[in-house]
Amino acid sequence: MEKVIIVRYGELYLKGKNRGFFERALENNITRVLQGIDCTFVKQAGRYFVRDFAEEQTDEIIDKLKKVFGLHSMSVALQTTSDMPSILQAAKAVCPSCGTFKVETHRGDKKYPLTSVEVSRELGGLLLAEYKGALKVDVHNPSFTVQVDIREHGVALVFAEFIEGANGMPVGTAGRGMLLLSGGIDSPVAGHMMAKRGMNVDCLHFHSYPYTNMQAKEKVVELAHILAQYTGGTRLYTVSVTHIQEAIHEKCKPELMITLLRRFMFRIAERHAKRCGAQCLITGESLGQVASQTIEGMTSSNSVVEDLPVLRPLVGFDKNEIIERSVKMGAYETSILPFEDCCTVFLPDFPAIRPKLCDIEREENKLDIEGLIEQAFQSIEKIKI
Amino acid sequence: MLYFDNAATTKPSETAFSRARAFALEQFYNPSALYNEGYALQSELKKARSALLSKVADESAFELVFTSCGTESDNQAIFGFAKRGNAVTTAGEHSAVSAPFAELKNRGVIEPRIAPLQKDGRVDVSALLALVDEKTSFVSVMHVNNEVGAINDINAIAKAVKAKNPRVIFHSDGVQAYGKIPVRLSKDVDLYSISAHKIGGLKGVGALIKRKSLVLPPYLIGGGQESGRRSGTENVFGIMQFAYAAEEKFSTLKADFERLTTLRERLWEGLDKSVYTRISAMDGTPYILSVSAVGLRGEVLLHMANDKGLIVGTGSACSSNAKSRYSKIVLACGYDEKTADGTLRLSFSPTTTLEEVQKAVTILNEIGQDLTRRMK
Repeated sequence: MEKVIIVRYGELYLKGKNRGFFERALENNITRVLQGIDCTFVKQAGRYFVRDFAEEQTDEIIDKLKKVFGLHSMSVALQTTSDMPSILQAAKAVCPSCGTFKVETHRGDKKYPLTSVEVSRELGGLLLAEYKGALKVDVHNPSFTVQVDIREHGVALVFAEFIEGANGMPVGTAGRGMLLLSGGIDSPVAGHMMAKRGMNVDCLHFHSYPYTNMQAKEKVVELAHILAQYTGGTRLYTVSVTHIQEAIHEKCKPELMITLLRRFMFRIAERHAKRCGAQCLITGESLGQVASQTIEGMTSSNSVVEDLPVLRPLVGFDKNEIIERSVKMGAYETSILPFEDCCTVFLPDFPAIRPKLCDIEREENKLDIEGLIEQAFQSIEKIKI
Repeated sequence: MLYFDNAATTKPSETAFSRARAFALEQFYNPSALYNEGYALQSELKKARSALLSKVADESAFELVFTSCGTESDNQAIFGFAKRGNAVTTAGEHSAVSAPFAELKNRGVIEPRIAPLQKDGRVDVSALLALVDEKTSFVSVMHVNNEVGAINDINAIAKAVKAKNPRVIFHSDGVQAYGKIPVRLSKDVDLYSISAHKIGGLKGVGALIKRKSLVLPPYLIGGGQESGRRSGTENVFGIMQFAYAAEEKFSTLKADFERLTTLRERLWEGLDKSVYTRISAMDGTPYILSVSAVGLRGEVLLHMANDKGLIVGTGSACSSNAKSRYSKIVLACGYDEKTADGTLRLSFSPTTTLEEVQKAVTILNEIGQDLTRRMK
């Protein structure tokens, strides 16, 4: 018997003539996450298998595969010969020795002497005899199901569990986006959601050194690392907006600080996205969550973006839904570290909640917009994750 | 780079490092081994132990247990003796003391009682004594405050505490005092924590000085080193380097004390008083000058100073958690949040020069005035 991991893909089975493109992206992504692990990744009869790995690395491989978008499920299976004594041995190894169960059989090999129903019935009987009294059959609500997959060439796969994959589409099949990554809970989740639909995600972080510190930057680097586990690497860019905040603080109405700053951020993000070949901006905004995330605030930010769409995958989510996803992707503990992600020194006590475009533009005219943006670009740093 | 954060750690003494070098590379043996090469190290450790202890205490009444750091020493003292009733400490303690007190409270072991500070950073002794009663098992009062530099008269405080309850075990965190200010432990002090890297030693070496008659419960159990009080193979190189560094520091302690008092005052005199307010008292340790740029943020000034080649410390941090942002010590001294938020700690070493102080003053004034202008 050999332990193997069966890897199944999800939505991309719906694809038609271009399925090969998606499959190749998925295969590349799987190969990449398995780098450094001594194993073989093969495609056989429309499914993927991980083979030839050390028993103790099983969980590690599963954990890595769980982060590959495009995968529907995985199963740790025993591969054996398709004679009934061997299948019974494998079934005993993968299933508990007590509880309720049923057997489900699939036959890829239609020449196999027994039908699927007959295999299930015979194996069920053998297991009942093996664990007298401890096992009971329950075909409606079993505590576990023994899965038998009879393949061609006298091979059978036996397993008891479907491990849920990340689903979605393979990263690299849906273009590239520029994520405005803060140090908070929302933006990593937004990046994760776009990556789930196959998008490559680059990150742009705005900092306010010396008003924010290196720990805040390290936190963002760590968040980019967490996101990169799903995206297969990312490029993190950091930009200082200190001089912009100081200019706004000096010349403009304090209640518009956040509105004006965000417009600068969006302008910088769009220009940078275009330079990097990104086709959209991604933000973690959720309608009404904070003062700047009202529809008026979003309109104000959008109005300075000339060409690219601004994707806000969390716009209709409650905070607790976002937190749930953050926990699931493994970013939450890092996101809540108490370092400021953007300077609060200049923040007004009462920010404008429904800023009017005419007021905003009047205040903005007091600033050298192009000069400030140019200065911001001079501070840009690239960190390869 | 101008280094004014010596209260956080000091540059290791190169002389002490060179003298101890052979204990890292040549005499690398395990001191617990029975062969001659290993056994010989026991006598070296004994010499180091004696040298470190004799500087501050009577060797016939006290002994010294090596640990890995000041925090471990504090933890061993607190978890070893704060075991019943109530335990008293001050609002000015380092977290190596305050956190174990909080932990013992959470475990339901003791009722912690916290004595307030005076404006100058010293503990309010009468308030502390009022907290001590017949159920008090343990009292911990730091010798020199690590943020504002206030010096507590621990011998006098220990005596007063023992007069009220002679069964109390009295501990003091001496990490910022050892090798820096004159210390002679009286018989009323039971336990005293020290650390190597604050006086030119290396990180990873500390010690707990204890009264001989006191049975110190082990904190780490294993091979029985340090007479069973602290198991773990001794860091021979680190310990020897600590002893040599201490030898240097104590040989010039009084002269350094006087010289640094002058330098500290020169620094303060040079600072722009429209920006900076003094927190440290005149009679505090000359090794620490705490000031506040009231209305500005200490950590922002720290970064600005850093960019100009000056390293300073701060009690505050750019934390989104308001509770952890302010220096709790400065707040405990009775200052408001704005003052606590603007705190900078400038700390000296015997190698600090007047020229460095003058350069530091120039930078601090520049950045203080610059940030004041930006924040208007």
